[in-house]
Amino acid sequence: MSSSTLGKKTQSQVETKNLEKEVKGTSSASIAWQQFRKHPMAQVALCILGILYFLCAFADFFAPYPEASINPKATFQPPSQVHWRDADGNFTRPFIYEMKNTLDLDPDSPTAYQKIWTEETDTAYPINFFVNRTGLRESYVPFPINLIPVAIRKPLGNSMGLKAPGTLHLFGVDSPGDKARVHLWGTDDVGADIFGKILFGGRISLTIGILASLTSILLGMILGGIAGYFGGFLDEIIMRIEEALSAIPGIFLLLLLSSIFYPLNWPPTYVFMAIIVALSFTGWGGIARSIRGLVLSLKEQEFTLAAKSLGASTPRIIFKHLLPQTLNYIVVVASLAIPGFILTESVLSFYGLGIQSPATSWGLMLSTAQSFAGVTSLTDRWWVYIPGLFIFIAVITWNLFGDGLRDALDPRSRK
Amino acid sequence: MTSYIIRRLINLIPTFLLATFITWIIIELAPGDFATQFAFDQVDENKEDRMRELLGLNLPWWQRYFVWLKNLFVDFHWGTSMMSKGDVTTLVIPRIENSMILLLPATIISYLIAIPIGVYSAVRKYSIGDRLLTVFSLIGLAIPNFFFALIVVALLVQYFQATGSFLLPTGGMTSQTFADMTRWQQLLDIGWHLIAPIAVVTLSSLAGLTRVMRGQMLEVLGLDYIRTAKAKGLAEKVINYKHAFKNAILVIIATIGGILPGVLLGAGTVEYVMGWPGLTPLFIRASFAQDVYVVMAVITFGVILIMIGNLLADIALAFVDPRIRY
Repeated sequence: MSSSTLGKKTQSQVETKNLEKEVKGTSSASIAWQQFRKHPMAQVALCILGILYFLCAFADFFAPYPEASINPKATFQPPSQVHWRDADGNFTRPFIYEMKNTLDLDPDSPTAYQKIWTEETDTAYPINFFVNRTGLRESYVPFPINLIPVAIRKPLGNSMGLKAPGTLHLFGVDSPGDKARVHLWGTDDVGADIFGKILFGGRISLTIGILASLTSILLGMILGGIAGYFGGFLDEIIMRIEEALSAIPGIFLLLLLSSIFYPLNWPPTYVFMAIIVALSFTGWGGIARSIRGLVLSLKEQEFTLAAKSLGASTPRIIFKHLLPQTLNYIVVVASLAIPGFILTESVLSFYGLGIQSPATSWGLMLSTAQSFAGVTSLTDRWWVYIPGLFIFIAVITWNLFGDGLRDALDPRSRK
Repeated sequence: MTSYIIRRLINLIPTFLLATFITWIIIELAPGDFATQFAFDQVDENKEDRMRELLGLNLPWWQRYFVWLKNLFVDFHWGTSMMSKGDVTTLVIPRIENSMILLLPATIISYLIAIPIGVYSAVRKYSIGDRLLTVFSLIGLAIPNFFFALIVVALLVQYFQATGSFLLPTGGMTSQTFADMTRWQQLLDIGWHLIAPIAVVTLSSLAGLTRVMRGQMLEVLGLDYIRTAKAKGLAEKVINYKHAFKNAILVIIATIGGILPGVLLGAGTVEYVMGWPGLTPLFIRASFAQDVYVVMAVITFGVILIMIGNLLADIALAFVDPRIRY
């Protein structure tokens, strides 16, 4: 072996090493991430969504009052004015005044027979941070623990001597007899804090989108996969039902479905799940049709034949070989379906056929806003419409994030 | 082609039967029926059961479905409304007309606006104008219809409070003095009430439509024959408006059948918020009262519209696109 060939060999070895280095950095996940990085809007959207979900998850902490707290004496109280300067005009820590209402009995004034809210400027109540509210029925179960059903949580906690009542709130006002209450965005028709209610309602509005999207995709994958792989009679039945369901106007079908559980006065958890079932019942069709098409073309390819000839069982072929191929498509469809479901849930709740009080969602808050605010007071109580802004933010960020995800995962739409 | 259409039409029959049957099952799954609300009558006992007998609600549920089907296809009878004691058609048809005079103009206007905007966006991709329009359509897609309608109503009320006169009516279809008006005044009155809801429906459907048109145009602009045209040295204008636009618009026009159901059912929440006496408010009232035949009539109507709309779109597409074999 001459030295020149040896030299060549090491050179080629070096080259392959270099090649390996290049190859190393480009797994499909990292390509997707690189592509996703090209979408600044999608990243911003992801951050906003993260903040939104974080706020709602720890709603008990961020809201100044517990979920069930109502104050019949202060219905439709306007947002608390947070003051930064004291009477002498010097900067101080933020404080609020107590708000009192009087009825305007002067028939000639423009606000005749309406509640007039005024601030009692005698005492300033400073806004405290990290306050403990230990009043009766004020403690809450903090976030990850509250997901465990009460039936399991209670005996478990008792046996371990654990009681996890949260009393900590991010901010609050300490006033004798709770006279001065801090309502950043005012109160609604029962005097509940709208800021807090938006966070509590967001728990439902934001999770319903994700869960309905997941269940409808699961349903669509299973039924579409079966229809595409087996074909014949099963295919015929599934696709016939899909066709019939898609011929019924979607929102009407949904309204009919919710009129099944509406009169039953179910507890909020049941209603929540029933809405998810109803949403996925109306939402699986399109996904099933696409999955069926994908599976139909995939099952004709060589790797399926190879798996079959190696003796793989049918479920193994479907779940291990065919469905993972559709994963990218599924992820994109799921993320783009979520904003749609959030909107549909809000419409359903707006009609009064979705989430029922005492639970709350953004759609339901707008529904009560419309029915209680009345025509003339629509403009005087603008703060009851803030939940609509949150529906808007949630939908637009999910849409942006979904678009970014699609470009990241779908090679055809890459820039 | 004729055999294809006939085949498709025959195919519609099982779909129709299955769709109405599924709807019937869902209605029956809801607890109680129309007569249940009389169950609490303490004075007149058995009123509930007599009511059921009179309304024919005492038969088993699947039998009633076939009775309904038989009445519909043999006698062309849609049933009697339990709420208003009249024939269902007298209740539903005026509502259909109301929905149509709101949605037909709104649909036409939104198409007339969306097509040029979409084409402009596609031709000047990533220009400032396109980016602005993209932002607008993103915003438009994210605003719930009913929230938008609520805001418009609030603004109209604000205007009324500030000036003491109505810029536009805040709801309903007719003024209180409607009955005393002459025919022309009545038409004008309805037109006046139409402006706000039409604007809301148009604006809220614009966002999605513009995106569709832009996407369609972009797809055509990316095709090989456009590159050929460019290579031949054709003017940009000729390529865009003669070669690309024609093909993009053909597909849009062909799928217009698909919006048929939208023309009658597309503005449910806007009708609900703005007090427009359309189909959706009737449907909600009927489904709360469990007035089976009204609910079935509205759904059946929707099913027929969706089926015919899809069929028309498919046929038109097959006409337009020579690659589609049938």
